[in-house]
Amino acid sequence: MSHKSARYLPLVVTVGQVVIFPYYIIWLKQVSLTFTLFAWFFASFSFAAAWGYRIYQTKKNKDHSYLFIIYAGMGSVYILIGCIKNSYEFLPYVVLPLQVVLGVLQGYFRAWHSDQDTYHLHAVHHYLIVGFMMIGFSFLKIISPVVFITIFGLLLLICGFWEFIRRGKLNVPKKV
Amino acid sequence: MQIMTELLKKPWFLGSLVVIFVAVVLWNIPIEKRKYGLSQGSLVTDYTGLLPQHVERVVKAENRDDMQRIVKEANRNGQKISVAGLQHSQGGHTYYKDGVVLDMRTFNKVLEIDERKKTIRVEAGASWEDVQEAIQPHGLALKVTQSQSIFTIGGSLSVNAHGRDIRFGSMAETVKEMTLLTPSGEIKNITRDDPDEWMKYVFGGYGLFGVILDVTLELTENDVYTIHTGNLKTDQYESYINELLNHRNTAMHYARVSVAPSTFLDDMVVVNYDYTEKQDHKTVLKKEQGVQLSKLALDVGRQGGDLEDLFWGTQKRYIGSLDGKEITRNNVMRSESTFMEYTKPGRIEVLQEFFVPVHAYKDYINDLKQVIPANDRNDDFKVHNITVRYAAKEDFTTLNYAKEDMLGLVVLIQHGLKEEEIANATSLIQSWTNLTLEHGGTYYLPYYRYQTKEQFRSSYPGWEEFEEEKLRKDPNNVFQNMFYEYYVK
Repeated sequence: MSHKSARYLPLVVTVGQVVIFPYYIIWLKQVSLTFTLFAWFFASFSFAAAWGYRIYQTKKNKDHSYLFIIYAGMGSVYILIGCIKNSYEFLPYVVLPLQVVLGVLQGYFRAWHSDQDTYHLHAVHHYLIVGFMMIGFSFLKIISPVVFITIFGLLLLICGFWEFIRRGKLNVPKKV
Repeated sequence: MQIMTELLKKPWFLGSLVVIFVAVVLWNIPIEKRKYGLSQGSLVTDYTGLLPQHVERVVKAENRDDMQRIVKEANRNGQKISVAGLQHSQGGHTYYKDGVVLDMRTFNKVLEIDERKKTIRVEAGASWEDVQEAIQPHGLALKVTQSQSIFTIGGSLSVNAHGRDIRFGSMAETVKEMTLLTPSGEIKNITRDDPDEWMKYVFGGYGLFGVILDVTLELTENDVYTIHTGNLKTDQYESYINELLNHRNTAMHYARVSVAPSTFLDDMVVVNYDYTEKQDHKTVLKKEQGVQLSKLALDVGRQGGDLEDLFWGTQKRYIGSLDGKEITRNNVMRSESTFMEYTKPGRIEVLQEFFVPVHAYKDYINDLKQVIPANDRNDDFKVHNITVRYAAKEDFTTLNYAKEDMLGLVVLIQHGLKEEEIANATSLIQSWTNLTLEHGGTYYLPYYRYQTKEQFRSSYPGWEEFEEEKLRKDPNNVFQNMFYEYYVK
């Protein structure tokens, strides 16, 4: 069970991030007053992801990766987004730090994931799964993107909890 | 290149990049603007959005013949026409149920600038900004305009607006000539000595006496002023303004009254623009500056209580920091406005303006303390700002608000949009209006009509003449709006 979780949790997270991306884009576009701001939000995410990536890469003790915090952090951000009910004038000021937090966490996660021996296998699987899932989602009527974003946030929180339980019981095999 | 590659490997460098970028983005996040006007779905609104209404169609004003044809058709088939500019009026002045709206924003050409006579002829849909851009290279400036340049010429004249100038009288008095499309569909050239007295009714006529097509405005030099600021108590202001008007070399002036709890209606700051004998042909027109910071400060003040005290203190310090600086006349007449945007769902910010005779100011302010609470932090009805401006006696227009030398208190109010919240705001503003009337004052008509019909009639005894002339000049009631329907019709 523990072995399976080590194998599948990153896949769940990777697939989920790609699947949620269109919904997240719709939400982000709604809260961006202009295209310029929309693009800046993405730029801040991207810079933060580069930062997160390097934080992991330069980390000395990679056996303690605190993945459960990363999952739970990303989940909390998505749930927070789901809780923002009304659009209001301060929203861009809230979204900007959220983009940075999300960027750092995703960059860190990606760096960690690429360090695992399952990474390349996951890459193939995730493309296939995402393809099929998106076909499935195309038949669903979107009520609101935040519904999907919140569900994904909850899923990530569960992943975080699962990882926390698993942590310490098993050492994830490292790529050689 | 090598150094850059090495730097990009350092997490601290990437982190710094993120922090710097975030700071830049934060500084440049645009301020959300209120959505209003002629394109809000099937209903049109004006700036407050409080009076959504269905109109038959919106016609972009492009040439005189088309507008003339529309007015003549309306006379034949009973249609109603309203005239809209940038729609900053707040009481349904620019539209009418199932009527035709003439959108004047496209009728905005500068027709002629006469540097020698110091005049400009401009189409009524042009904004004051357009005019300033045209006259600034000639070293000229407007005699009277509003403190911001975001309004159309036709709109400002239709509400007979006033601003910071204390020397040139009312805006209406600076119009030399006007071309008017009358309610019967004639195009007339009107001068001040016109026997039919069209100007008397068109200016401050809220779009009910035809369409202002173009006007010739008197201009003055683009003088350079020195800013002088100061702090006062409200009971000192009456003598201060009299001294200023009679003995000081001041061209323009405004003041602010504290609405912060600890200094509520006691403290004032004054800002004067004093002549320097210098003129300016080179300084460019200023753009909006520091709007994010100004908005942040205003948003802090909007929280009320101690934060409103903090805002007032900050405002005083900021105004004090302007003391001694120089500014051109054109730039005084184009203050920032974007920082005042407020778009919180379920709430609205509106303006009201009360005029009170200069000699009654002290008692009026004292009595006002009984009408509005000093600390509105937990109230729905909140007063965020009171700006005081001088309005010289004017008896040129029929619905004139300055029957004697007045001080106009422009009040920024916030309240909720639930039925009971609007009712509460209405009740408070009506009490405020009663107090103003008791002190010989009046209130300004371009804003939302919280006041009763009786209060309107007491404030504007010329309303009967206005109505009679409206029937005479527009017997088919072609020009209509919601303002007229509420107060007069």
